[in-house]
Amino acid sequence: MRRLLLLLLVLVFGLSYLPDPLAVDYGAILAPPSAAHLLGTDQLGRDVAARLIAGARLTLGLTLATLAVTAVSGTVLGAVAGHLGLRAVPRIADVVAALPTILVGLITAAILGPGLPSVVVAVCAVGWSPFTRQAYHLTVRETGREYVEAARSLGAGPVRVITRHIAPNIAGPVLAHLCLRFAGTLLTVSGLSFLGLGVQPPVAEWGAMVADGRTYLFSSPHLVLAPAVAVVLTASLATALGRSALRE
Amino acid sequence: MRRLLRRLALLPPVLLAASVLVFALPRLTGADTVRTVLRTRTASEAPDPVTQARVAAEFGLDGSAVEQYFRWLAAACRGDLGVSFVTRTPVGSAVGDALTISLLLTVLALVLAVLLGLPAGVYAARRPGGMLDRTVTGAGVLGVSVPEFVLAPVLVLVLAVHAGMLPAVGWGTPAHAVLPVLTLAVYPAALTTQLIRAETIAVLASPHVRTARAKGLTDGRVLWLHGARLATTSVLSLSGMFVAGMIGGSVVVEVVFGIPGLGRLLHEAVLAQDLPMIQAGAMTVIGIALVAGVVAEVAQLALDPVARERSR
Repeated sequence: MRRLLLLLLVLVFGLSYLPDPLAVDYGAILAPPSAAHLLGTDQLGRDVAARLIAGARLTLGLTLATLAVTAVSGTVLGAVAGHLGLRAVPRIADVVAALPTILVGLITAAILGPGLPSVVVAVCAVGWSPFTRQAYHLTVRETGREYVEAARSLGAGPVRVITRHIAPNIAGPVLAHLCLRFAGTLLTVSGLSFLGLGVQPPVAEWGAMVADGRTYLFSSPHLVLAPAVAVVLTASLATALGRSALRE
Repeated sequence: MRRLLRRLALLPPVLLAASVLVFALPRLTGADTVRTVLRTRTASEAPDPVTQARVAAEFGLDGSAVEQYFRWLAAACRGDLGVSFVTRTPVGSAVGDALTISLLLTVLALVLAVLLGLPAGVYAARRPGGMLDRTVTGAGVLGVSVPEFVLAPVLVLVLAVHAGMLPAVGWGTPAHAVLPVLTLAVYPAALTTQLIRAETIAVLASPHVRTARAKGLTDGRVLWLHGARLATTSVLSLSGMFVAGMIGGSVVVEVVFGIPGLGRLLHEAVLAQDLPMIQAGAMTVIGIALVAGVVAEVAQLALDPVARERSR
């Protein structure tokens, strides 16, 4: 938790202090890290640190937003299906979960054209399924318990039983699952941008930054290493957080 | 066996539904495919109607969308998946060639992942919380957190650029396969390790292992004969999940290393708006992902009586 707060703090400070991520400086092209440019500059003389922070805002914002949408819709669907015994729902979720998100991203990019909407649609189209599966199985288990029967015999309808009785009892595992899915969603979002199917230049995004930097891998490895470290660090922090949440 | 057939019987309707979506959606966006093809071919913004009609007929783009779909479906059932807008060669053989390469890559990576993950997981489970366990667990978290698009350039930088031992891009010789396979194997290896570790710890705590120990079996025999064997079951059940992740990963790996596999074919087709190629490639990958999911699920049910009972 403390580590996450630290990361948040870095973000907030970075947003207020660093130079413009789109400012081009032809006097300092592909400069190595220095006092003026903490992480050096890229092929257009843009400050890598500034782009990293701007990318953080976009990458993490996009990840959190899609994760929130898929987690809520998926969990609600799973809980309702589990409580009412709709067996088709987890079956469909199984099928959807078998689809690789990157592939769905390729297809949506073919339809909508590469860009943010295509990424959001792809991640949401697949992302709900694991949450639905989990919520379904948890709700089926809880529905069989005595306290649900007791609530029902007191006259509570399905809506009340799900929201007031079952929801608090399945919230823990669902939240831990949310933390664990964060890394996967982050990697998918930036992976699609890496493939040129997500955000388009000149917008800074971590995956796109790795893709751009690959051309200069031999001469200026910092262009790849900076966003690479950012992605890996964020993903592993979120995973570790999810693990510890799961253990509690 | 009956269960396998019943699950597989579910797939054709799902695939059919997917084919409708894959086929219909690009046409619903209102993009004029004939115009796009002509623009890339002749660079003229306003082609004459005669040329348009000729191109439309050549690629089966005349008539209504429904008509086009059924014509495509009928041809696809005969094994004719159409002609690429870009190369004008049959899509089917291109997808077939690419698929062979992708499958080889994926299978090699999966084998490597199991070879790494199985012993790592079992040895880590031997002493939970010990030095080895903490190292393996930490490496596992890192392994699932490092995406292919980060790992590939880093491996190229270290092993190809600095050490100069391996070629950075290309395909053809065994040396070309080393870095891609390694990149692709990390994610399933990390997952396998975690699963095997968790399962082995659970199995080692169960009564039959205590009995085996009491009978005087050595630690090593208990670990491998009783612990590891049961743990393998759970890995099988999750291999379906690996496949989806690995197909996604192989797109990235093939693009980065310039391997002429299905992922790169599809990526290029999407960027070039090559509809027949997108349809054929996407349907192939969706089919593989779904079949792999079903097979993994059924394999687990066949091996694990408890899960079989639960799925009733």
